[in-house]
Amino acid sequence: MKAMMMKTAAAILLAAGISAPVIASGKTDSGKDKQGSGTVTLQLWYGAAVTEAGPPPADWKALKIIREKLNIDLVLTALPSNEGDQDVKVNAAGAANVLPDLFMVRRDAWLNLVKMGLVAPVDSLYAAMPNRTKIQYDEDSRAFTTIGGKSYGLASPGSIAKNEGLLIRKDWLDKLGLKVPVTTDDLLAVMKAFTFNDPDGNGKADTYGYGAFIEINNFEEGLGRRFDPIMGAFGVAGTWNMTKAGAGLNVRKAEYFDAISYVKKMMDEKVIDPNWMSYKKDDFRGAWKQGRFGVMREQNAAFAAEANYAPFDKNFPNGEWIVIDPPKGPKGKMSVGVYTQAYRIYAVSANAAKQGKGPAIAKLLEWMSSDEGYFLLGWGEKDVNYALDANGVPTPTGLADPNLAWTKPEIQTITQLRNMVYYNGEIELLSRYPTYKAPTSGKTMSALTVMRDMQKRAWTVAIGSDALVPPNADLKRFYEQGVLEFLTGKRELTKTVWTDWVGEFDKMGGLDWEKAGIAKATESGYLK
Amino acid sequence: MANIKGTTIRFTAADRFFYSIIDFLMIAVLIIVAIPMWSTITLSFRPNHFIGTNLEGMFLMPWKWSTAAYKALLGNRGFILSFVNSFKILIFGVTTSLFLTIPLAYVLSVKTLPGRKLLNVFILLPYLFNIGMIPAYLVVTKLGLTNHLAAIFLPAAISTYNCLIMRGFFEGIPDELKESARIDGAPEWYVLLRIILPLSKPIIMTIGLYYGVTFWNDFFHAMLYLNDNKLQPLPILLRNILMASGMNEYVEANAFGEASVQAIKAASVFMSAIPMIIAYPFIQKYFTRGTLLGSVKG
Repeated sequence: MKAMMMKTAAAILLAAGISAPVIASGKTDSGKDKQGSGTVTLQLWYGAAVTEAGPPPADWKALKIIREKLNIDLVLTALPSNEGDQDVKVNAAGAANVLPDLFMVRRDAWLNLVKMGLVAPVDSLYAAMPNRTKIQYDEDSRAFTTIGGKSYGLASPGSIAKNEGLLIRKDWLDKLGLKVPVTTDDLLAVMKAFTFNDPDGNGKADTYGYGAFIEINNFEEGLGRRFDPIMGAFGVAGTWNMTKAGAGLNVRKAEYFDAISYVKKMMDEKVIDPNWMSYKKDDFRGAWKQGRFGVMREQNAAFAAEANYAPFDKNFPNGEWIVIDPPKGPKGKMSVGVYTQAYRIYAVSANAAKQGKGPAIAKLLEWMSSDEGYFLLGWGEKDVNYALDANGVPTPTGLADPNLAWTKPEIQTITQLRNMVYYNGEIELLSRYPTYKAPTSGKTMSALTVMRDMQKRAWTVAIGSDALVPPNADLKRFYEQGVLEFLTGKRELTKTVWTDWVGEFDKMGGLDWEKAGIAKATESGYLK
Repeated sequence: MANIKGTTIRFTAADRFFYSIIDFLMIAVLIIVAIPMWSTITLSFRPNHFIGTNLEGMFLMPWKWSTAAYKALLGNRGFILSFVNSFKILIFGVTTSLFLTIPLAYVLSVKTLPGRKLLNVFILLPYLFNIGMIPAYLVVTKLGLTNHLAAIFLPAAISTYNCLIMRGFFEGIPDELKESARIDGAPEWYVLLRIILPLSKPIIMTIGLYYGVTFWNDFFHAMLYLNDNKLQPLPILLRNILMASGMNEYVEANAFGEASVQAIKAASVFMSAIPMIIAYPFIQKYFTRGTLLGSVKG
């Protein structure tokens, strides 16, 4: 019996082993045109709008239209959600010279591909897609991808600029009889009251003045953007000072010490949520919805979009956040933070250009920016996934089957390419951020109104600062850790120790980094 | 006093003290391991409107739990698709790997094999000097494996490390057993199938588990080689879910609706670990024997 079982097991193993590679699902990439049919196959590696939602379905109407009307067989691949992973995938394909025909790529990786000659110039494509060029590729966009007089990528508008703001719990201010803080001193007083005067009236010492987490990117180094309203009060928001008069790294400026001293004071006075160093974005967002703190910098939709505001509304029906001006510093400076002009680069591979696929790519992109493509990719099918209101704005209300509305989680797959057609136009903003009544409190809310308010506040221009040379890994670590060490008390925050630390920073390459940054900013005309 | 297999052993005070320390340490280790697991599980059941700290959340009563995250995950087309893909990779991967590793390990264990030492060095070389990502990518691409699930498990079908462990185990099986079969005229494949394999269940299970865990968790190769999103396995989706709230700038929409992002993340982590959690208890007894037998010779 046992021998029989062994034989059977061995036979199954053998059969499965031999057939595994054959059976295991999949198909070989085929970049070749379908001979004789006149159909061009285009491989597109795109940045999905909602990466966790999965790819568009096989019977997606857009694919059918693209095939039938444009004679293009579109093969879609969603890039990984993480930028580092995206780079690895694109770089590996580049090294093997098997880049897809059209692909989204981050600027750093794109620069390398251009140097290696793996990306084709796209100047001729602009004229072949006049409508899209008018909507998406203005002069700044072309300049962003121009090297040596040739444009090597199609740069579409990315995220909306200045869509974050400093928010404060107005209900807490009212309960404690406080006014909206204007200066950094006022802010400190309000934060103290929020921490020690039981603003939520639950009898527990469970609230704090300020809430944040470390959110760093190359143009918002040090403590990151959540602290920029504080740093801005001292004139040192962001990594770089992008003015002609004061160009350079903010961390090397004397005011940076004052700003860090203020944050240290917030810590010493215990008016900042003590978990801020360990919070991730989700923890931070969970914390304000649980009423842990009363002042924060937050993004408009993360704060006011219906799904995001709902938990706060349920927990605190009488709670109210309002957008305020960032605090004024000792020298009268104020800023919510820095803003850049973000772009998404789509590049055409040199192989695709050699195979003569340029016109097909232009045809595809032009269609995407036509009314048909724009609405289909942005919102789905009319009267199925969206309806148009009296102003011609897509709305999820009034549909025969509300479960098919473009806003529903399970419908996200059909708008995965929406970032390829959105350009932050009025219709998009009105449909993405509709006015609604909060379910528990009945308050009228609109993420768009909130955003408009945020955009009116004081901001610091830093266009191009995201395209400057990044520091090497050691220097970056030294910078980020060093600043935190001063705040945690590991390093004593005195003028002498700070100056020594900046000297060490310079020796480690900080000075060279600054010089390289200024040179690049000057050469590119970024300094204002 | 303790009764072990019918024999009564009298413990001295020193023994009792020693075992108390051991018990204490084991319980401490258990707690250290259990807390993050419990935290993840309770987080996955935490309702969106929950107010309180993580610690309070860990003690939230089960009748206040919400299954929204699990409902959302199981209702997500991408999750089911990815789970099936991962399962395919697991089954085909482990089968292929064992099918190739067992004969290789056996051949290397045959002491009379001509050129055995050279063969061993030849097999060890790629283990010591990894060829790197780009050459591997080129090979997979040229073989036309891109966009096949086989691209995940075929290039990694033989792990040198696993092969050497298995070879050590085979070498530990008394030569007399093999010789007796050979004297009766059995060919080598017969010796392998009828003599070696029936005695090697522990090592096969152990190595199978090693391969299984590797294939189940493989994110990197799937990211590189699978362009068709319908083929993407669970680690890719998991990574996308874990990164989603950080990357998705249009935060007015997500793929999971009512459930909180934290709960979705925790639920996806927990669900992706379930197959391995189920497999371990069944394989554990072989696992212990397999690793120990492979390590002791002579």
